[in-house]
Amino acid sequence: MPACEPDFFRLLEVLGRHGVDYILVGGLCAVLQGVPLSTLDMDIVHLRTAENLDRLLGALQELQAVYRHHAEQRLAPDRSHLASAGHQLLQTAAGPLDVLGTIGKARGYAELIDQTQEIEIEGCRLRLLTLEELIRTTEEAGRDKDQASLPLLRQALLLQQTRRPP
Amino acid sequence: MSELERELPGPTPATTDDPTHSPDGVDLTLIRWMLSLSPAERLRAAQSMARAIVRIRGAGVRT
Repeated sequence: MPACEPDFFRLLEVLGRHGVDYILVGGLCAVLQGVPLSTLDMDIVHLRTAENLDRLLGALQELQAVYRHHAEQRLAPDRSHLASAGHQLLQTAAGPLDVLGTIGKARGYAELIDQTQEIEIEGCRLRLLTLEELIRTTEEAGRDKDQASLPLLRQALLLQQTRRPP
Repeated sequence: MSELERELPGPTPATTDDPTHSPDGVDLTLIRWMLSLSPAERLRAAQSMARAIVRIRGAGVRT
């Protein structure tokens, strides 16, 4: 498989095996809640404690993560990068992975954790930002490319809430 | 038949009173189909779609 080809299952498996505390956000989070979007990367907001940064660094080393905009220099993220509120846009052996200190109006893991739900996929437990909160952070971010997905997110939430039981 | 079609169940038939689109043009049939899948199936759909896009892009670069 070419290095740039996304392997979401592997990304989730490696993060889970290293015990990284994170919240899945962005397009893949929406897809897992029934939104028919296409996405090529995975976005996570991580807990920025010393212990979790160690676990995250271990996972990123296993995934051979380097910055996408310095891919030819093979520049890997370090602890200080991951401890910041900024966005680390990485290329890994399992495809693009965006590691985000905060999203929306500077909200990090601690501010978002109460608006998440936990699911399990093939033995791997992961935490998703709720669709309501995903809509709110997308509105806050105000970026054109994200705004385009808002009608889809809102309709999915509406159908999710009014869905008849099978 | 694509890899995705082999792995995932087909769309659930809509009832006649289910609208196909929202007033702002969103295709509701796709959302209903996605909601009928399990999270693992949704992840497989996303995976399959992402790989297809990357392969098509790669094919475009080579030609």
